Amino acid sequence: MNKIRGLPPEVREPGPGVELGVEDGLLCQLIHSPEFNLFSKSVVFESNFIQVTKPGDWMNVCEGSTTMILGVTSSVPSLPLPNILLMANVTWPQGQFSTGNTPDSAPVITLSRILPLKFVELQICDRLQRILRIRTVTEKIYYLRLHEKHPETVFQFWIRLVKILQKGLSITTKDPRIQFTHCLVPKMSSSSTETTPESSLLLSSQPSESFMLLETKQTSDSFSHFSGRSQLTADRVCDLNILGRPQRFHMEDAL
Amino acid sequence: MAYAYLFKYIIIGDTGVGKSCLLLQFTDKRFQPVHDLTIGVEFGARMITIDGKQIKLQIWDTAGQESFRSITRSYYRGAAGALLVYDITRRDTFNHLTTWLEDARQHSNSNMVIMLIGNKSDLESRREVKKEEGEAFAREHGLIFMETSAKTASNVEEAFINTAKEIYEKIQEGVFDINNEANGIKIGPQHAATNATHAGNQGGQQAGGGCC
Repeated sequence: MNKIRGLPPEVREPGPGVELGVEDGLLCQLIHSPEFNLFSKSVVFESNFIQVTKPGDWMNVCEGSTTMILGVTSSVPSLPLPNILLMANVTWPQGQFSTGNTPDSAPVITLSRILPLKFVELQICDRLQRILRIRTVTEKIYYLRLHEKHPETVFQFWIRLVKILQKGLSITTKDPRIQFTHCLVPKMSSSSTETTPESSLLLSSQPSESFMLLETKQTSDSFSHFSGRSQLTADRVCDLNILGRPQRFHMEDAL
Repeated sequence: MAYAYLFKYIIIGDTGVGKSCLLLQFTDKRFQPVHDLTIGVEFGARMITIDGKQIKLQIWDTAGQESFRSITRSYYRGAAGALLVYDITRRDTFNHLTTWLEDARQHSNSNMVIMLIGNKSDLESRREVKKEEGEAFAREHGLIFMETSAKTASNVEEAFINTAKEIYEKIQEGVFDINNEANGIKIGPQHAATNATHAGNQGGQQAGGGCC
């Protein structure tokens, strides 16, 4: 008899995240589907956003019913922090939007990008307008406004996620002996245009943490290069000159 | 949209050879001269028709830059086809083909079909790599070969579709185990019961070109 005694069967009841549409959502279903079969054992945290223009007017970039779904997940579910950013476009028939799974809504979802979070910086750009700022190592910047039909709680989740990615969790190693010799997405200098209350708060209260980055280590599984050693680092000595010059990155050193 | 098969493609090659432009030309039929450097993966997809069957191409456009190379290696898994691209106006991109090929062979399944593409054929005056050299490299390593121009769309359709034809032929010949998803082929939900029963027919044709 090979059964292991004493372990209760796994019970999966839909949590509040499902009801809020941030877990088991469209993006999760897509990447877990046979068509992609990616990160099938990892939870996906996702929300709908509208891409908006640069700070100031916050105009929608696209007219109509095109929505962007932003999600984070882990290449390996045991990682303490997410290490993958997912971006997808979704079009809703008749412009409708729902966080539920009503079959008659039948949105068309298209996965557009998978980015290792180590190459991405997430910021809360405007807390009141519920706008995230995403910057990649190649200086591609997205301003994304959380969809109006998401409750405020959902944006609070994103604020928490951003802080976790910046500061780490209590279980994240703080071992100072682990050295990181580079910084892929250093924070902009004081001349940064980020003057929103949230970013100002972060910059003023915890300047070192604004340099924190998620670092990951390669393992042998699919997308394995993003897994293993996950931690945040406050790299004050990073070379700011690498901004916009990704040819100087030495990712192998970090893995 | 229903499909008989889904083929996963990966596009690889040095940075700046036009991988993303080839994808954009194939999926959107447009050329964008300036393209952001690719990091991670960017996806494209399109339906084509081969032997009367709808085939969905799921295309993974990868980063060519050396700094992202170790990550690119993890994307080979489960690819049925690879487009290995060099720039005919840059000899170094041709010289690096061997390294790319070694990576592809090492990290993919052995049956993966590889199409060697000499891109930017519209820039004849700046050519540094003769077409015969590309042909010889392909012959030596068992690859299919085409020269393309993402700018003029020359041979772009053919490069993607001929790769699919080769994969399809391998399915018909039983080389690919289509029930093994590691081969980068998935059977469409409505065609699972009838797959692999139509042997011998070739001569695919491209579909209307709608993106999916």
